[in-house]
Amino acid sequence: MNRMEWMGLLLAVGIVTFLFRYAMIGIFANRNLPAWLHALCRQIAPASFAALTVSALFVRGGEVVIALDTPKPWASLVAAIVAWRTRSVLATIGVGMASLYLFKLLF
Amino acid sequence: MVSGLAKKKTSGDFPGGSTPPGDGRPCPGGPRSGAMAEFLAGCRDESPLLLGVVPFGMMYGIAALAAGLPAWMAQLASAVVFAGAAQLAIVQMLSAAAGLLPIGLTAGLLNLRHILYSASVADHLRHLPRRWRVLLAYLLTDEAYAVAILRYQARGCGKGGAGGGGPTDFRHWYFLGCGFTLWLCWQLSTAAGLVFGAGIPPDWDLDFAVPLTFLALLTLLVRERSGQAAALGAAFGALVFAPLPYNLGLVAAIVLGLAVGFRVAERKEPDR
Repeated sequence: MNRMEWMGLLLAVGIVTFLFRYAMIGIFANRNLPAWLHALCRQIAPASFAALTVSALFVRGGEVVIALDTPKPWASLVAAIVAWRTRSVLATIGVGMASLYLFKLLF
Repeated sequence: MVSGLAKKKTSGDFPGGSTPPGDGRPCPGGPRSGAMAEFLAGCRDESPLLLGVVPFGMMYGIAALAAGLPAWMAQLASAVVFAGAAQLAIVQMLSAAAGLLPIGLTAGLLNLRHILYSASVADHLRHLPRRWRVLLAYLLTDEAYAVAILRYQARGCGKGGAGGGGPTDFRHWYFLGCGFTLWLCWQLSTAAGLVFGAGIPPDWDLDFAVPLTFLALLTLLVRERSGQAAALGAAFGALVFAPLPYNLGLVAAIVLGLAVGFRVAERKEPDR
């Protein structure tokens, strides 16, 4: 693939991404969201971040990988408990990384 | 009050100094804070997430060089596309010598969720002039969205409406603070990855901070029963639909989560 094609690809993805981000903001600039969409909006953040989290933790190249003999699932579990109890981003990342290093020593 | 008046009042360049007396319904906690204070609060609240964004940006920079992308183009992509997961997928597929169409399709599907974020904030941005809406749309990433929507939902004025929009509502400045902080960090961490990337030992596992960030945000965003159901549905979907091509699995998982959450909300929270 040559540079022109790369440039074209980046520009195309950039424009499409912006259009996705602007789509609903633009469409509903002058009118109210329909009631069903309004109700759906409350579910968007939980659904999106649950899917992102689980994909990032347990999906590798289209395959589900839950390797319980490796440190990462256990460190994730500790981080999840910390996240739930403290609701702190800093504590979650800090304890999560620390427990990953700890479990790497143990495994 | 929401559209007409606010449109005129907030269309100024920097409304911070000239807050008109509260002739609109004031938002609880909002009226005294002013534009600059909101902007800085947004920067502050976004900053813990940077712990997860920095490794992500560096990973992308390293992967881009490995794929044979010139450094300037890799950096340009961070400004033009400004979507970590899609950028990483693009360069990984470039190294695997995938065709233009599959790469474009994958990136498009990965970014499809931004339409949902767009819908989710649309109500809150309606009163703003177009240049604000365009700017905030450009900055609408996962992490900025998560923090900004918490702010909009925490101090929402008026139920089911546009959530304020009065002349004393500066929450778009908060959103801008979140978005700008993330944008700057993304550009700098891309550059850091391009410059020093190869020097960081892979066994530090810095990339593990990325799912940890999502995990922390998830627990903040799940509050109602319907939200819990949506999250469970989406998590289940992410595992079941993982084998689908072009990262379609992520889209399918989110749609499943939305459907489950919607059903539960209809039953348990009929007033919404």
